[in-house]
Amino acid sequence: MIDASQFTGAWDYATLPANIRLGEDCWIERRDSFSRFVSERDPALVLGDRVRVYTWSSFSLDRTGYVEVGEDSVLVGAQFMSAERISIGRRVLISYNVLIADCDFHPRDPDLRRLDAIANAPGPGRPPRPPISSRAVVIDDDVVIGAGAMILKGVTLGRGAYVAAGAVVTIDVPPGGRVAGNPARLEAA
Amino acid sequence: MQTAGTGRYLEHDWFPRLLPPNVLLGPRSWLYSSYALLHFRSRRPVGLRIGADTGVYIGSQLEVGPSGEVSIGAFGAIAGPIIATNSRITIGDYALISYGVVIAEEPAMIPPGPPSATPNGRGRAARPIDIGDNVWIGARAIVLGGARIGEGAIIGAGAVVDFEVEPFAIVAGNPARVVGHASAGGARR
Repeated sequence: MIDASQFTGAWDYATLPANIRLGEDCWIERRDSFSRFVSERDPALVLGDRVRVYTWSSFSLDRTGYVEVGEDSVLVGAQFMSAERISIGRRVLISYNVLIADCDFHPRDPDLRRLDAIANAPGPGRPPRPPISSRAVVIDDDVVIGAGAMILKGVTLGRGAYVAAGAVVTIDVPPGGRVAGNPARLEAA
Repeated sequence: MQTAGTGRYLEHDWFPRLLPPNVLLGPRSWLYSSYALLHFRSRRPVGLRIGADTGVYIGSQLEVGPSGEVSIGAFGAIAGPIIATNSRITIGDYALISYGVVIAEEPAMIPPGPPSATPNGRGRAARPIDIGDNVWIGARAIVLGGARIGEGAIIGAGAVVDFEVEPFAIVAGNPARVVGHASAGGARR
């Protein structure tokens, strides 16, 4: 048997890195949501007041990653992968198994990608990684993202936009717009 | 362990929680851990019924609100879905349900229980889900409220289903469509 507190939001948030800023009355269910947090920015993660972070959410922030989440947002299963910036507005609801990435994490060019594989190999003395493109993801207030959706590099979701379950979003969504499918398409209003 | 009474632990459990008395485990069934019930808040007489000879394996989560009930038949292999409802989800015998699947009443739900007093689906009409016998659901498929899946059907990996699927149909894609039919003695298109 283990200590259940690290799974129930009752763990000591003061043990988080100093570049994580929590608003008033934030609740973070699982300590392990930060196991891939290596950002060196300061601040690197800003959660607004009363943000709730459930078990399945994770903050995989690369050394240059930055995530901000507005007040009263609920992250049920938001898996953030950031090398640049992901901005989440207020009162946003993100469902189970949702992935949000602001970067491709590897080069598109096959020769550079081979170099990246070498740079990422385990152990010391590896060459530096080649440049990798990233573009910020911006999700405005009152957006709802359904289960299993993916929001990819450079996407902006306008205020009140709705992303259907399982959608893979690579296009901007206007305020109040609704997208569904893979690849996601804007549905007629 | 055959049946869960008040105050009983799973013998093999690593998570220090009692099984609620309204969770019924059939003979020779397997539930990997009480962690599956992290957000189980059903107040129904039987909030979860797992049939005889059914395995509910690691990664599976039963997110059941106060009015919710989930029933899984016999000889199922439940290999890690998130199952979320505040009404009713019924799964028949011989179910094969893969990793990363979400079976949820709403596309974006807030898990029941603390820190939120908000139960699943509050203020909305109940949208039960009915999955027949001998249904196979592929990895990362999503089954939403209103779905009725007939006996022997196959839901392809990553498909999103919120409609009626006739018995022995094969559906795939996002948006999902019928791509074939399977019948006893061999598949036909």
